[in-house]
Amino acid sequence: MFNRLISFLRKKILLVIFIGFIFGIVVSIYSYKIIEATSTPESCEMCHVHPQATDSWKLSVHYNTRVGIHIKCTDCHLPPKGEGYLKEKIKASARDFYGYVFKDSADFNWEAKSSLEQAQHHVFKASCVKCHANLFPLTLNEKGQDAHLYYTQHEEELRCINCHLNAGHYDPNALHAKNVEFGNAGVQNQEKYNEPAKVESLSNFTESIPGTTVSFEMKAIPGGSFKIGSPETEQMRETDEGPQKTININPFFMAEVEVTWDSYMAFYTATAAEGRSTDTEGSRKNLDVDAISGPTPPYGQPDQNWGLGQRPAITMSYHSAETYCLWLSKVTGKTYRLPTEAEWEYAARGGTETPYFFVGNPNDFKEKGFLGSLFGKSSDLINQYIIFEENSNLKTGTPDEVEANPFGLKNMLGNAAEYCSDWYSEDTYKNLNDGATNPTGPISGEEHVIRGGSFKSGVGQVRSAARDHTQSVAWLKTDPQIPKSIWWLSDCNYISFRVVCEFDEKTGKK
Amino acid sequence: MTRRQVKNSNFDKIELNHNTNIMSENNFSRRKFLGGAAAIGAAGTLGFGPLTSCSSGGSQGGGNFDWQPREYNFPPLLDQVPDGPVLKAGVIGCGGRGSGAAVNFLEAGGATVTISALGDVFQDKIDSCREKIKTERDVDVPVENCFVGFDAFEKVIDSGVDIVILATPPKFRPEHFQAAVRAQKHVFMEKPIAVDPTGIRQVLAAAKMADSQGLKVVTGTQRRHQHKYISVYKELANNAIGKISTAEVYWNQNQLWYRDNNPDWSEMEWMIRDWVNWCWLSGDHIVEQHVHNIDVANWFFGKHPVKALGFGSRQRRKTGDQYDNFATRFELDDGRQILSMCRQINGCDNAVNEIFHGTKGKSFTDQGGTAVITDLDGNQLFAFEDHDTSPYVQEHKDLITCIRQNIPFNEAEATANSVMTAIMGRVSAYTGKDVTWDEMMNSDMKLGPQTYIMGSVGYIAEAKVPVPGSDE
Repeated sequence: MFNRLISFLRKKILLVIFIGFIFGIVVSIYSYKIIEATSTPESCEMCHVHPQATDSWKLSVHYNTRVGIHIKCTDCHLPPKGEGYLKEKIKASARDFYGYVFKDSADFNWEAKSSLEQAQHHVFKASCVKCHANLFPLTLNEKGQDAHLYYTQHEEELRCINCHLNAGHYDPNALHAKNVEFGNAGVQNQEKYNEPAKVESLSNFTESIPGTTVSFEMKAIPGGSFKIGSPETEQMRETDEGPQKTININPFFMAEVEVTWDSYMAFYTATAAEGRSTDTEGSRKNLDVDAISGPTPPYGQPDQNWGLGQRPAITMSYHSAETYCLWLSKVTGKTYRLPTEAEWEYAARGGTETPYFFVGNPNDFKEKGFLGSLFGKSSDLINQYIIFEENSNLKTGTPDEVEANPFGLKNMLGNAAEYCSDWYSEDTYKNLNDGATNPTGPISGEEHVIRGGSFKSGVGQVRSAARDHTQSVAWLKTDPQIPKSIWWLSDCNYISFRVVCEFDEKTGKK
Repeated sequence: MTRRQVKNSNFDKIELNHNTNIMSENNFSRRKFLGGAAAIGAAGTLGFGPLTSCSSGGSQGGGNFDWQPREYNFPPLLDQVPDGPVLKAGVIGCGGRGSGAAVNFLEAGGATVTISALGDVFQDKIDSCREKIKTERDVDVPVENCFVGFDAFEKVIDSGVDIVILATPPKFRPEHFQAAVRAQKHVFMEKPIAVDPTGIRQVLAAAKMADSQGLKVVTGTQRRHQHKYISVYKELANNAIGKISTAEVYWNQNQLWYRDNNPDWSEMEWMIRDWVNWCWLSGDHIVEQHVHNIDVANWFFGKHPVKALGFGSRQRRKTGDQYDNFATRFELDDGRQILSMCRQINGCDNAVNEIFHGTKGKSFTDQGGTAVITDLDGNQLFAFEDHDTSPYVQEHKDLITCIRQNIPFNEAEATANSVMTAIMGRVSAYTGKDVTWDEMMNSDMKLGPQTYIMGSVGYIAEAKVPVPGSDE
């Protein structure tokens, strides 16, 4: 029977091949049709319930193109065909199906998903380049020419969406230009301070900036000695946090909160000037305090459209932060500056020696599985004090969202990372002597210390002892200007600073 | 792979000893062959571009020969340009070189090309250029197509030409090149094509725009169109001297010309008439002249240096604010070095040439004499005499050929990189400091007055010859 079938097929080999051929063609046509049918915006929207994304897409230049082409979801959110299209499509649909069944799309943080950091995981550069093969069309203006040349020279490190983030989804608040209006919508009709605060002893005071409506709290930090760094047994410890040394710190004042946009804008308004072209590094000496020149207008939105007010000012360069302190010293008649790393950690600990200034270890607050959330410690405690990746929605918060540490300071840990005046070195503490007073770190270096972690940090990086440093090159990667800005960082949205005021003869020291 | 086989060139006959090797079964198994477009593309490259594919690694004699499979776009090098509709060129900058380039162009294209417009800032230069073209090539440039002024370049570009010849002092080149590209004109432009990093970036961007428009660009680095140099390049690519370890490049000659000031001239007029002595106009002679030899090094190494340390001084120059001698060590990213010297002083011994030292021998090239390749013991392996066609004419033949046959050809980026190399050397000599490529690429240096007016611009009063170092 079987043999007869075989021999029949042998005789009709041409027919078999023909049928197979037709079958193959039909299968190909239909699988192509299925792939196409499941790649239309409508089919995407079946599972992707995000009306705001659909709306913003319809407002974008990629929907209403000059040449009359419709750019669909999959044109940007999947790689080009032949370059991993099917693989990514299967991956994406599996993930999306899971999300559709088990999650509520209203819970997703859509705003964070459209930030550059997350967008790079679902927008494919190859897809941009597939259509935009010519980066130098005749219609390109000279600024675009400079920017695209810069891109071609740094193709490995840059993505199209570094600059063209809103090309696919319109964002009414996005600004792709020099922001000369920045800070102009200031507070009107409020009483301005005439005098700075008078300080006669080492106690908390409210500083007021003359000529502005801005004031902020300064906390008196008593002198004392403490152990800097963390013990080797501390969870999530990094090697640059040791060996621990006992050091002394003289009394000083420290701002209750990270410098707010209100304060920073007072500085910006008072010192900024449009149109200077000589702001290259080294052209101005820090000692020229009589004529402090402040930041030039930023490019785009330094506040990331999260709002100004009491939120920490962010994205300023170290040079800007230093200049702010010089200016603040001048207008208040006191000595304001950035904290040293030792002062910072002393203030952050507030007398504690544990990973945080409250009870608990990093592992207690880690994102937990199902069992962990049943039996582990609650995260409520850390949420009371720290704005970090688990609770921040990937943006900074205002000071009223958290409670203070034992010294009365808020957001020392988390929220925005803070500049310290020390140069960063991995073995700072190795070279530190026990019993040293007010150490200031290595004599020279390339990057400055930053401390406290940020709204993007995990539980390990928001410990009191955790250390980090600036990244001069990476933080300016996409700044297309030559030379790059010395005032604003194009690629770091989590850095801020906090001022300290010296306890000296100007503040009541006898 | 855009290289063309050229019928009347005798270099195609060079023995290609690794060709068979590369195409053997081992390297191209069936599986690999089916492995995708990349492998097929590679086969194409290796098969059709033997001269550019010497990827033999250490297997050849002479140790670690490392000439990577390079894509080098050789010019067509035809003796006779292909026929076609008449190409009209406009000359922007009608001084000595502009007039010379115009005549070279007419000689290269014969009856199939013409010069139809002239532009300069000085009427007398236009007159003398027009006359030279008339007497030497019997071509009449219509008077109404002769434009004078700083904006003459726009008028020449808009006069209906197909090609522009850019030969003003190099300071103006980036702006002119960009305007020409945006107007979709093919370009012949004299080196150097910029004097400062700002200009270099403008040229680099415009070069990419030219590519996107299919425009052809030749840049006056005529050694790249000289049969003798190309022969040596091909020999070195075929492992004649092993791995190149060091290059020496020199342009030491007599004092160049200069113009004394004239009471009838404004400040700007004097500087432009005396332009080879003013840094903002010429880039100094390491850029203006020595870039030729530096370009040969970049060409043969297949990359540009990343660092320079040099010195120089001003001993006998009569006018302007430039040096008259430089000595520079350039470093490649792999640590290999280019030693460079240039001098423009009378009464010294001169040398204008390039020497490449390899693990198996060395090559010697200069524009006038015989090119020679020797082994380590000094025995001559190859010698190349010059070809009949002048390279100054050949480069125009190549431009015309590429336009007529639509062969992709654009030298702007390579020349911009060589000019940037020279600028890096100049800045190092002026400052006495190590200067890196990245510093240059990110520099906002822009030389010269902000605006161009034929009058007093306050430049000379401020101009200083740089003195590096300190007394402390």
